[in-house]
Amino acid sequence: MYLGIDIGSSSSKAALLNEEGTIAGTQVVNLGTGTQGIQTALDELYERAGISPGQVLYTVVTGYGRLLYTEADKQITEITCHAKGIHYLMPDVRTVVDIGGQDSKVIRMDSGGTVQNFVMNEKCAAGTGRFLEVMARVLGCSIGDLSCLAAQATQDVAISSVCTVFAESEVISQLSQGQHPNDVARGALRAVAKRVAGLCGRVGVEDSVAMSGGVALNQTMVEVLSQELGRPVVPAPDSQAVGAIGAALLAREQYRKTR
Amino acid sequence: MNNAQTIIDALCEQALHPALAVAKSCRDAGKDAVGCFPIYTPEELVYAAGFLPVGMWGGSTEIKLADRYLQGFCCSIMRSNIEYGMRGTYNRLRAVLLPTLCDTLKCICENWKVAVSQLPVIPVVYPQNRSLPAGEQYLKDEFSRVRLELEKLAGHPITDEVLEKAFALYEDWRSAMREFCEAASTHPKTINAKVRHLVIKAGWFLDKAVHLEKIRALTAALKELPEEPCAVRVVATGLMAEPVGVLNLMVENGMAIVADDLAQESRQFRTPARPEGDALSRMAWRVMDQRGCPFLYEVEKTRGQMLIDLVRQYKADAVVTMLMKFCDPDEFDYPIYKAELEEAKIPHLYLEVEQQMDSFGQAGTRIQSFAEMIG
Repeated sequence: MYLGIDIGSSSSKAALLNEEGTIAGTQVVNLGTGTQGIQTALDELYERAGISPGQVLYTVVTGYGRLLYTEADKQITEITCHAKGIHYLMPDVRTVVDIGGQDSKVIRMDSGGTVQNFVMNEKCAAGTGRFLEVMARVLGCSIGDLSCLAAQATQDVAISSVCTVFAESEVISQLSQGQHPNDVARGALRAVAKRVAGLCGRVGVEDSVAMSGGVALNQTMVEVLSQELGRPVVPAPDSQAVGAIGAALLAREQYRKTR
Repeated sequence: MNNAQTIIDALCEQALHPALAVAKSCRDAGKDAVGCFPIYTPEELVYAAGFLPVGMWGGSTEIKLADRYLQGFCCSIMRSNIEYGMRGTYNRLRAVLLPTLCDTLKCICENWKVAVSQLPVIPVVYPQNRSLPAGEQYLKDEFSRVRLELEKLAGHPITDEVLEKAFALYEDWRSAMREFCEAASTHPKTINAKVRHLVIKAGWFLDKAVHLEKIRALTAALKELPEEPCAVRVVATGLMAEPVGVLNLMVENGMAIVADDLAQESRQFRTPARPEGDALSRMAWRVMDQRGCPFLYEVEKTRGQMLIDLVRQYKADAVVTMLMKFCDPDEFDYPIYKAELEEAKIPHLYLEVEQQMDSFGQAGTRIQSFAEMIG
């Protein structure tokens, strides 16, 4: 078995790959770096797969917390792992959008799943999952409920501030002026989508676009990003585990290289 | 190897501790120091006046006082310089030379007079249209005015003979620096990204004659060593290769700088002087002949092609932009040469840096991902 671990800023993911290259299981725990999240995810994954840690031949760790996890054989960045994971799950896709808690990335890859180019958000938390967390807090809902609120919107309330801190003030101001929370929620998602679409423009979008990471579970986010890009955006299957799956695939490659 | 390493260690130490290096240089040479703001400063005039020219390229420090004049959205080098000036760090200098090559430098010239009033400022204004005969005359006149200001500061005239001698020393130094960069490009392990930067940077705090001697010895020692392989060879472009934390990440990921287009490094010495004319004319021509620099107006915008040529000449894998946050001239150039690099199918990494940067998480991910992509 080969193990892929993805320790993000807000969640921990693990994936097991067997010798034949089939995913034997994935696990997601919503606790990120600096917590017991990854250990919990691994315990649950091993139990479900019915294997012991000793059966793992090689481990690759990725994600924001990869440098602090010392038990892996190798650490590889989430850019490379997401490209690998998406290529495995959706071989026709050439562009991947991953909106993470700390960073947003747009990755362009070739037909073999190798990264050709990538861009990340600049300067601040604008366009990242952190922006959505702040907006959800102001709206008094969980980040998971943000999508439901936005789905019921009748219009977008424009949020013009790029800065997360200023945008928070702007949203409070919009709510105090009587704007409906549903419309404000959709405006928040639109603001992130515009930022991410800007990143896509810099890296160059090719054909179909896939979305990985936890934000891909947000249906309304996927919808507004599709609108901003003017092309369909498809959420990856098991989107939260894409990085871990990529890491597991790379673990198998690395192990075979060393043999 | 030992000889090379001894010189490298000494130069790195001096680059990492500028205050100590400048104090020692002043003591050894029996000279006072004059500060030289970026980017092109007529150092030869300062040297000929009997002063030690010292580079003022900011530093990694907490900004408290400078916020009164330059806020968080301004060039971090200039914020550091104002901070150091207000804090008294530069009090050992007799004066500062300040070329007004960008909007921030233009503003800072006036700010300095109020904020750091204890240190006289000598502005240097460069002509916008360098290629015109009037531009050449303007620059020579401007250098003559700066010469007079420095003569007043020194209390004695700068003779033509002394100026010619200073210019010749600087030409020797520029030639030696070009030769060092050549040797460094074939020894990217010994002269890794961090070492390369620090060896060059040390020249801003040492007497040029002393730095020249060390660079010649180091180059000779490098030539004795076998050529070294490297995982990822890059050409760096931008203002400067700092903070050093970014260079550490490059080294960790097997990335070496084999050539550069950095304002603090090769742009200082890549253009040799024309052979004819007096020192002032040759100084002016060096500025007029400089190509591919965003701070010197150039209709043709040759920077992109120059980077492509450097990649091919040094068999580099990619170009790395180290864009100093809020540096307008560099930001204006970026989309132009980015498109040219893409057209030439040269991989390219964009890194936004600032001197007060203390978190390297995202930069680490970018550099490592890029190395994984290239390697």
